[in-house]
Amino acid sequence: MRRIAIACLLVGPIWSEEGPDFSTEILPILSNKCFACHGPDAKKDEVRLDSYEGATEDLGGYSAIDSEKPEDGELLIRIHDEKDPMPPEDAEKQLTKAERELLSRWVKSGGRYAEHWAFVKPGIVEGGSIDHLVEAKLDGKGFAPEADRHTLARRVALVLTGLPPERGQLEAYVKSGDFEKLVDQLLGSERFGEHQARYWLDAVRYGDTHGLHLDNKRGIYPYRDWVVKAFNENLPFDDFITWQLAGDLLENPTVAQRVATGYVRMNVSTAEGGAIPAEFQAKNNFDRTENFGTIFLGMTLNCARCHTHKYDPIVHEEYYQLMAFFNSTSESPMDGNKYEYKPVMKAPANAADWRRWDAYLEKREALKAKGEGDFVEEAKKLDEEKSNLEKAFTTTLVAEELKKKRETKVLRRGEYNEPMGEPVSRGVFEVLNPFPKDAPKNRLGLAQWTTSRENPLVARVLVNRFWQSVFGAGLVRSPEDFGLQGRQPTHPKLLDWLAVDFQESGWDYKGLMKMMVMSKTFRQDSLRRADLEDPENLLLGRGPSYRLDAEVIRDLGLWTGGLLDPTMGGEGVKPFQPGGMWAALSHPGSNTKKYVADKDQRVFRRSLYVYWKRTSPHPMMTLFDAPSREVSCVRRTSGNTPLQSLALFNEPQRVAMAQGVASRLLAEKKNDAERVNQLFQWIACRDASEHERTVCLKLLKQAKDAKHDEKSAWSQLAGAALASDTTILLY
Amino acid sequence: MNEFGIFQENGLSQTRRQLFGRAALGLGTASLAQLMGPSLQAATTSEGMHHKATAKRVIYLFMSGGPSQHDMWDYKPKMQEMFGKDLPEYVRDGQRITGMTSRQKTLPVCPSKYKFTRQENNQDGVWVSELLPHTAKVVKDLCVVHTTFTEAINHDPAITYIQTGSQIPGRPSMGSWLSYGLGNVNENLPGYVVMHAKSSHAEQSLFGRLWGSGFMPSEHQGVLLRSQGDPVLYLGNPKDVSRSDRRNQLDALSALNYEQHQRLGDPEILSRIKQHEMAYRMQTSVPELMDLSSESDETFKLYGEEARQAGTFSACCLNARRLIERGVRNVQIFHRGWDAHGNLPREHESQCKDIDQACAALIIDLKRKGMLEDTLVVWGGEFGRTAYCQGGLKKENYGRDHHPRCFTTWMAGGGVKPGITYGKTDDFGYNIADADGNVLKPQPDKEKHTPGTMHIHDLNATILHLLGIDHKKLTYRYQGRDFRLTDIHGHVIKELLA
Repeated sequence: MRRIAIACLLVGPIWSEEGPDFSTEILPILSNKCFACHGPDAKKDEVRLDSYEGATEDLGGYSAIDSEKPEDGELLIRIHDEKDPMPPEDAEKQLTKAERELLSRWVKSGGRYAEHWAFVKPGIVEGGSIDHLVEAKLDGKGFAPEADRHTLARRVALVLTGLPPERGQLEAYVKSGDFEKLVDQLLGSERFGEHQARYWLDAVRYGDTHGLHLDNKRGIYPYRDWVVKAFNENLPFDDFITWQLAGDLLENPTVAQRVATGYVRMNVSTAEGGAIPAEFQAKNNFDRTENFGTIFLGMTLNCARCHTHKYDPIVHEEYYQLMAFFNSTSESPMDGNKYEYKPVMKAPANAADWRRWDAYLEKREALKAKGEGDFVEEAKKLDEEKSNLEKAFTTTLVAEELKKKRETKVLRRGEYNEPMGEPVSRGVFEVLNPFPKDAPKNRLGLAQWTTSRENPLVARVLVNRFWQSVFGAGLVRSPEDFGLQGRQPTHPKLLDWLAVDFQESGWDYKGLMKMMVMSKTFRQDSLRRADLEDPENLLLGRGPSYRLDAEVIRDLGLWTGGLLDPTMGGEGVKPFQPGGMWAALSHPGSNTKKYVADKDQRVFRRSLYVYWKRTSPHPMMTLFDAPSREVSCVRRTSGNTPLQSLALFNEPQRVAMAQGVASRLLAEKKNDAERVNQLFQWIACRDASEHERTVCLKLLKQAKDAKHDEKSAWSQLAGAALASDTTILLY
Repeated sequence: MNEFGIFQENGLSQTRRQLFGRAALGLGTASLAQLMGPSLQAATTSEGMHHKATAKRVIYLFMSGGPSQHDMWDYKPKMQEMFGKDLPEYVRDGQRITGMTSRQKTLPVCPSKYKFTRQENNQDGVWVSELLPHTAKVVKDLCVVHTTFTEAINHDPAITYIQTGSQIPGRPSMGSWLSYGLGNVNENLPGYVVMHAKSSHAEQSLFGRLWGSGFMPSEHQGVLLRSQGDPVLYLGNPKDVSRSDRRNQLDALSALNYEQHQRLGDPEILSRIKQHEMAYRMQTSVPELMDLSSESDETFKLYGEEARQAGTFSACCLNARRLIERGVRNVQIFHRGWDAHGNLPREHESQCKDIDQACAALIIDLKRKGMLEDTLVVWGGEFGRTAYCQGGLKKENYGRDHHPRCFTTWMAGGGVKPGITYGKTDDFGYNIADADGNVLKPQPDKEKHTPGTMHIHDLNATILHLLGIDHKKLTYRYQGRDFRLTDIHGHVIKELLA
């Protein structure tokens, strides 16, 4: 196939008149309204508007943009031509008046092109800091006052660990005001890794089942436990990425490095009777390639599977060059409905076992360091320890490279049975940084390209998502799309500064989180401001507020009710679920047809560990907007439904939480006023207000008047309080 | 252009948001629809979003697994003479077949064992098999399409395709597209309700994604109306909490939330108070809905006695009628068990018995209540079944594999032409054919539609059209792309419109 050159988006001649900013004002219009016909995937003879060369090309006496006489350019004439307009009358997307004016001003100022901001490596921002760059945009109106200590302690603990601060931490901070100490404590807590891992697991679409057809069980939870561990140990993020993409290709990979390659195996899979292996070889690879695009590049590659991208400068062939990196792993395209969908390895089965394994590795290293000498006894003991540990290991899916590469060909319209031309070589997108010269052309090289300082997207895309997890929304509000159709960053300099700083810090995740939560920006009061008309908080002139995620709502309830089981890792847990939910939709041959709830303390583990059946996740997750994990999710929606109300009040786990709260209050506090205060200390990290106290005591009285005993009355109050926005919001 | 492009995210909420001005930003679409009040809703919904709607509501009877058009709707007498002979190569013409029969030595022609009778309709009549004696009596109200087709040949991709517009998971379901487009005008019940009907052969899986909201907010998910336990998840209060207790709890909750609203000024908090109130109303409206005691004996005669038994297809159909009477606009019933690879006669007889009387009853019932004219009923599965036999072929017993090239669906009411058939297939019910019997090989093509054919995108485009929605204009921006239910395809089939 002839290689289509992307001469795209080169800078045109610099004209004197100051026109609109191309990247932020013009390119979004061209992309959204013109590129469907005049973009990278334009038909052969169509005018191209995605590059200066294309726009100024002589089309036989005229051109779209006339660099000599701007007034005569076809673009300008046609967008104002009522008889023969562009876009054509029947086009679905029409230009607005304001857009026409912007385009006119742009053409008249010379029609300069510039590269889309996200494809240009972030520059160094001198003297940057979060607060400095946020304040600069606040039009002199300044930050909101700092939130009170109680609120701030709750906010930062929920953001970092997904749980409220421990009582001692809260009291110490409120007394001392030493916020940094509190932050350090939270960053050091193992709860931190559990909470942070959740976002990653959404992005990589982690699930405990295969996801298609029978949707049988899949052995891969050691990967989930490794992610938690990596966040807790603050594994440098470039290593975190490399191990997942290519841990198996590192020299003498460790158990952890191989477990991490579970990422490559995370696509949904099938063994449906009639399915055609070649079709699923292609589909599995599409899934991986597109996930890679979403989570690292912030680009939606799906379009380029079938044709050259309509908006972003990605050629059809390039999609398959990227896919070629993933096309030579050794697993069968069909999962055989097997838990051990090969290749698999054995790995520690929970967090405690990981700790023991790491301790063993340390001892072995220490022994090696002793150098020469007779340590036969010690070595023998260590071997024994190793084999004992390995006995408890469990299955996890991993990636392994075939000895001989599989050929990858471009597929016409993405149809597996319509390969075109010669096999393509592995490669990356020309519009981004070049593949590192010395890097091997395999997944390991791809990891090096991904984590290269030259890559314009990866660090930006990642810090934007981290920002989103802290502030509730990203600096780019479309974290899944940094392409031409994506949203512009609200604070471009801040995004760049954070991205560069993250790379320079050695990809220090905890350091970045600390910097974000320590900022004034984060510590502002969340009340909407009368002096700042900004409903979506695009200017960041107030603190974050948003509804908590499904998992946090549940964990918070368990914690408040004194029920939370802190055990980490291991096979997915099955809390109560209404009968028949799996059976109603499962294939009779499926091994996830029957939901058997766990009986012991396990049901009170953190939600991160709840068993994730991808075709039917737990209803308390999906009712509160958790994704199915069949595909990547880098931004959850936030619905608001009556079913959520029913669930908050009536779901059996919620009832147990409310009863737990009631028992604790009755046992720990002597009178109702103290109990109400304690309740608010748990849900809001502060005493109840006068009004709240009145409301609560009234409900209590009503319940008692209705002949409810003390415990039952308090359970009703606790149930209402746990369902209230005082509990289920971050603020 | 707005500095940050905050209105760009999706076209629909843009118009709604603009209606309200900036004060409403941050509210979910459902809650906005509520705030808009009946008059504004009428402007955007019951009259149709893009053009006048002929259907105000839809009931979709989905037959999961792939019902056999050969044994129910697509009468092929010439196949009788070919019994057991290998399907001529020119008929299959390179068609890919599933891994289940691709290794079979022969593909023997398998005529239906069932007797077909020609029923009068408003055109040239329609042949219906003896498996559907009741449905046969209402064909004057049906628009029977013999030429529905798809590209997918296996269940998971095919059902995901017809219900979400893509073979690969991740897109919103058709029901959630409708919820997003139509909003919910109902004060007491959810706008999009899904039921799973019982079947003796529930062999193929269903998936949450078939009624899930994909990348749209969860308020567009289908609400399951269940026949086991609470009809709506978590509807019932814990046993020691009475209705008045709950009232008191909600009053306290509202008071707490109002205070929280004062602290934060977030309008979403007010909207959530409304959702709590709706939940409270659902606690009476749903049991009232499920209580069939007010239905007459005559109704049970019509639907069949099994309609008294919760979870049967009959009961689901009766519930569907009760739901739409109460203002719910979007009801979907999934009936599994149509995947008859072997023992087709035994399985399909039982399957047809499950649905036949209830399908007819629903049409009759809607009609006599004057609701059929603005209620669209759709019946069909994700693909059809092969003309050749899978496994051993006997006169009395056989099986059929999946067949994507043509299958039968029907629609009724809601502005669909009644009593017609659309599209023809060849003598083997294998390929779509033109009026003269010449084989057509239609492909989904966004420019032109092949007359006499109905790709699944065409079906979905037509359903949306009847509901007043232009399938090309109902878009939702995600990952930089304006997604549609019909992807980049779909043609409204004008010949089916009354």
